[in-house]
Amino acid sequence: MRVLIVEDNEELARLVVGGLAKAGHPAEHAATAAEARHMLAVDTYDAVILDLGLPDADGLVIVREMRARQDPTAILVLTARAGVDDRVEGLRCGADDYLVKPFAFEELVARLEALSRRPRAMQGQVLSIANLSFDTAGRQAFVDEVPHVLSARELAVLEMLMRRKGRVVPKKLVEDQLFGAGGDLSSNAVEVYVHRLRKQLAERGALVTIHTVRGVGYMIAEAK
Amino acid sequence: MLWSRSIVRRILWMHVVAVGTIALFVPLSLYLLLVAETSSLHREAMREQADRIASHLVTTGGRWRLDLPKDMRDLYSEALGRYIYAVVGDDGTVLFSSRYAAQAIFPDAPFTSKPEFLQAEPPHSNISGTRIPRTEGDHTVYIEVAENLSHRDVLIDDIVSNFIPRVAWITLPILLLLLGVETHVVRRVFRPVQEASERARQISPRRTDIRLSLQDIPSEIAPLVVAVNEALDRLEQGFRVQREFTADAAHELRTPITILRTRIDTLVDDRVAEPLRRDLETMTRVVTQLLEMAEVENMALGDSERADLLAVAADVIAFLVPLAIAEGRSIALSGVEEPVWVAGHAEVIGRAFRNLIENAIRHTPAGTVVEVIVEADGTVHVCDEGPGIADAEREFLFRRFWRRDRKRSGGAGLGLSIVRRIMELSGGSVTVANRTDGGACFTLRFRVVPAAADQDGAAVVQAAERDDGAAPAS
Repeated sequence: MRVLIVEDNEELARLVVGGLAKAGHPAEHAATAAEARHMLAVDTYDAVILDLGLPDADGLVIVREMRARQDPTAILVLTARAGVDDRVEGLRCGADDYLVKPFAFEELVARLEALSRRPRAMQGQVLSIANLSFDTAGRQAFVDEVPHVLSARELAVLEMLMRRKGRVVPKKLVEDQLFGAGGDLSSNAVEVYVHRLRKQLAERGALVTIHTVRGVGYMIAEAK
Repeated sequence: MLWSRSIVRRILWMHVVAVGTIALFVPLSLYLLLVAETSSLHREAMREQADRIASHLVTTGGRWRLDLPKDMRDLYSEALGRYIYAVVGDDGTVLFSSRYAAQAIFPDAPFTSKPEFLQAEPPHSNISGTRIPRTEGDHTVYIEVAENLSHRDVLIDDIVSNFIPRVAWITLPILLLLLGVETHVVRRVFRPVQEASERARQISPRRTDIRLSLQDIPSEIAPLVVAVNEALDRLEQGFRVQREFTADAAHELRTPITILRTRIDTLVDDRVAEPLRRDLETMTRVVTQLLEMAEVENMALGDSERADLLAVAADVIAFLVPLAIAEGRSIALSGVEEPVWVAGHAEVIGRAFRNLIENAIRHTPAGTVVEVIVEADGTVHVCDEGPGIADAEREFLFRRFWRRDRKRSGGAGLGLSIVRRIMELSGGSVTVANRTDGGACFTLRFRVVPAAADQDGAAVVQAAERDDGAAPAS
């Protein structure tokens, strides 16, 4: 994916551009709001990483401009501002995500990839974690490249978890996805599917753990 | 004296005193004036009568003759008994008199060449009048006219003796009416001052933009209002400088750490990168805590801020759980299933939760669970399965920069003081106790409020969380 990084600190920009390139995402750099406007006008990007503290304008102005002209480019706001109202303000302006400095570079890449996938979820891709992989187009799970048959609902749960690997998938979201929003179901229906999925993956030797975060949701991670 | 601090009361009190004094002095002085006036009228009348008698006194061949007209004779008749006259020679002999027993009216007063006002000796002291000399050739006579004051004219008598009971009381209602009018006027004058005070009451660290209006403020009080407004300007400036400093400090501290962090993250050799990353994480935590402390220290929340404890707890747990799991621990949420709305700012309350949970994760052995319990009464417990809090530590726990083990790196020791400050801001409290089966249990108590009509802020954050699992900023 092509990324534009708008960041006035040259050193940080250089490092991010280099890191993204290594992660397989060609990135270009704009140091000012004016430069960013120009580059956004003449070129198309999959995502914009936008620092809010630019020398010539508040980064949020650019977010508003882009959303005003219905530019669908994913925007990840990057900022040193961590005031209590800043994040809400950033998201309200139309940013897709908000990352406070300092951040783990891995986190930045993961967020970017999540953003770029989001609007094109139907597009096929292979998600993987440890020796487990999931082909979203063929709707097929593999352990050590060996395909395994899972029920449609088990596959749906696995896909949700793998799309957000390393992060919690709220229980409510899984319920809505499986049974439709507002669906009336016993509170442990999701737990049943997760339990079954957990058992099947273990039987097939997948080196992953599905953690239950009681009262919150589920999370898939590499087994320790 | 009941001296009040209220200006209105002081004015009215002084008015009452003034009214009382005036109510006493005005009738008294009017009475004295009236008395003086009556006596001067009496003297004038006596003088006039003496002059008239003198005009009827004629001398023919050394003999004096008095020929009074009828109306005058009636006036001096003994039957009326009110006025008397006598004409006395310079040797003291009485020439003429209105009385049968002819005698001088003022026999003891020596003769003078000028008109005099005299009063008879006791027991006739109620007789008062005048004596004027009249000279014809080398003969001089003295004309005495007097009035018996005990038979004085009824009208004058009445005016003087009935003045106090009949007329003086009028002054009291008039003065009381004046008092009422004055009360009204003073209240009116002070109303803008009262309105300004009401407005001043709304000023809080969150609302430093309020200024007092000078409109209708009395000119005596205007300087005070201007001074208050100027003080508010300085106050607002102070708050702004403080906020800007915190924001600038955040930027200046975070940017170099970010560069360092990115540089380490893009290092190829993980054996070098890993320890550096750990060091940097400690440093980041310290910086974050310092900035958070600085921010919440200078923060004030509006009354309308509200948050759903359950949603905030779920968000914070979702954010922290990957870290917890990576370190072999877990976090669980239990208690209510429905939203619990409390007074406070969702992001700020989230920081309190995050600090407590992070603290619990750091101080408990691997394999344990940090339990977050949200209750419908606005209480949140964060309980761990660690060693618990020693009684001796309890009083230091919430102090700034206090750490149980100074040798251990991890944070600045600000986490719990941030929690306490946040609870102050939210109008709640934080306490700590040990569980009976071991482990510490922090209890946060919030003020429950009716479900919010505008859940805007919270809704935006939650939408973002639910959607892509974005972590709360920290």
